[in-house]
Amino acid sequence: MAMKLDEEKKAKVKLAVKRRKKEVYTPVIPDTQLGFVHNNVDCIGCRACEIACKDKNGLPAGPRFRRVQYVEGGSYPEVYAYKVNISCNHCAKPACLPACPTGAIFKRQKDGIVDIDSTLCIGCRRCEATCPYGAPQYDPEEGIVKKCNLCVDEIDAGRKPYCVMGCMMRVLDLVDINQLRQGVYDTKAIAPHETPVRAVKNFADPTLTNPSIAFIPHSKGKVE
Amino acid sequence: MMKLCQVIVHATLALGVITLAQAESSNANLQYNASRWDPIHFKPAIDSASNEQCLTCHQEIIDRKVLERSPAGLLPEDALAWYQTLDTYEGEQDTFHRRHLMSDYAKEVMDLRCNTCHQGNDPREETANSSANGDTALTQRKHVDPTLCLMCHGQYDAQIMGVPPGDWRETGNLFNFDCLTCHAAIRTHRHQVNFLKPQAIEDAAQSRKDVCFGCHGGRAWYDIPFPYPRHAWPSAGPEIPDWAKNRPTESTARFLATPN
Repeated sequence: MAMKLDEEKKAKVKLAVKRRKKEVYTPVIPDTQLGFVHNNVDCIGCRACEIACKDKNGLPAGPRFRRVQYVEGGSYPEVYAYKVNISCNHCAKPACLPACPTGAIFKRQKDGIVDIDSTLCIGCRRCEATCPYGAPQYDPEEGIVKKCNLCVDEIDAGRKPYCVMGCMMRVLDLVDINQLRQGVYDTKAIAPHETPVRAVKNFADPTLTNPSIAFIPHSKGKVE
Repeated sequence: MMKLCQVIVHATLALGVITLAQAESSNANLQYNASRWDPIHFKPAIDSASNEQCLTCHQEIIDRKVLERSPAGLLPEDALAWYQTLDTYEGEQDTFHRRHLMSDYAKEVMDLRCNTCHQGNDPREETANSSANGDTALTQRKHVDPTLCLMCHGQYDAQIMGVPPGDWRETGNLFNFDCLTCHAAIRTHRHQVNFLKPQAIEDAAQSRKDVCFGCHGGRAWYDIPFPYPRHAWPSAGPEIPDWAKNRPTESTARFLATPN
């Protein structure tokens, strides 16, 4: 039977919790880190991944866990276009997680998925502000924040997320991001001559949270 | 612009009380999509936009508070937010915008305006940079460049500062979390920017340790130190150390308290 604390001891525990929370956050180091890879060049921007995601998650107008961005430029005849496709990057050091005041956000030990239990969300939108990549999405109808959880139920069933399954060009894939970076993960999203990079033009600084994403960049979208 | 904005049923839309389609059908003059392309959402007009202009349409960021209880029944008062552990914040949990604009501490030491952080967005994709040609300095999928947050919430680089033993928590303990132990004498004018109240920060730091350590050393937002522009202090000497080479020596022009 649990020991019941008197008021004085309760106050001491509260103070200790406050002191610890103020100073310490211990990041989760997952056994494996899953992440997306997107080929910016071969993506045709059909948005099937976006629609599959909205459908799977029953999202109303407004929140978009996944977003295909069309980047176009140049002057005739030297014009170009490419797509950048981003959802949650399930960062190695997610800024949203320690920011959440209710503990609604957590990172899974076994595969590094960053998930949010939206039923514990009070809608303070702090995670939305801290995420450098715009992943947490505010649902104005419910007043809470939701985000991509990598279709965790599909993962647990041995399948890939809806967005990956919906990609008809096979330019979006879910991979073991560390293996991919080491060049030992085979995916159809990357051609033999292509090398994945951590960031493309106007993507927020990846050193902020070490996002688990890789891109095959367009020549105009490359960063130093 | 004002005319366009005024016809928007702003708060009800943002709060989700009614949908866009319902709002449009209830007000024939509603021009929501047109207002998204208003010049105020772009450079250069956004630089001179006043808070009042922004809040004409976006008042909900001030009005909206956290939920009284989460969908599962969790009460905000039963959870402790990190900012509530600091001696710079008193009171209940509140939304991100309200804490930066309406809280006692915000009013005391900050002078944030909407356009301090928000530099517009690209309405076409509801995000930035749908044109790779336009060097908009916006960040993909974000309405605010996260490095702007680091101007206040950025850790200092313990290694560069040479504070033993290189870990902020241990360093804090060593100096009793009082940065002014050393920095009473070594002071720069880094706080003299138009979104802060420099003298109020100096005064507040005398009595509350978290004014300095809470953000610049303690549990900072991101795990990397922020390369602040180097503001040499009076006794720093003329020689530029290696770590400061190629760094700017003053804040970005739009943040300078007295623009050149």
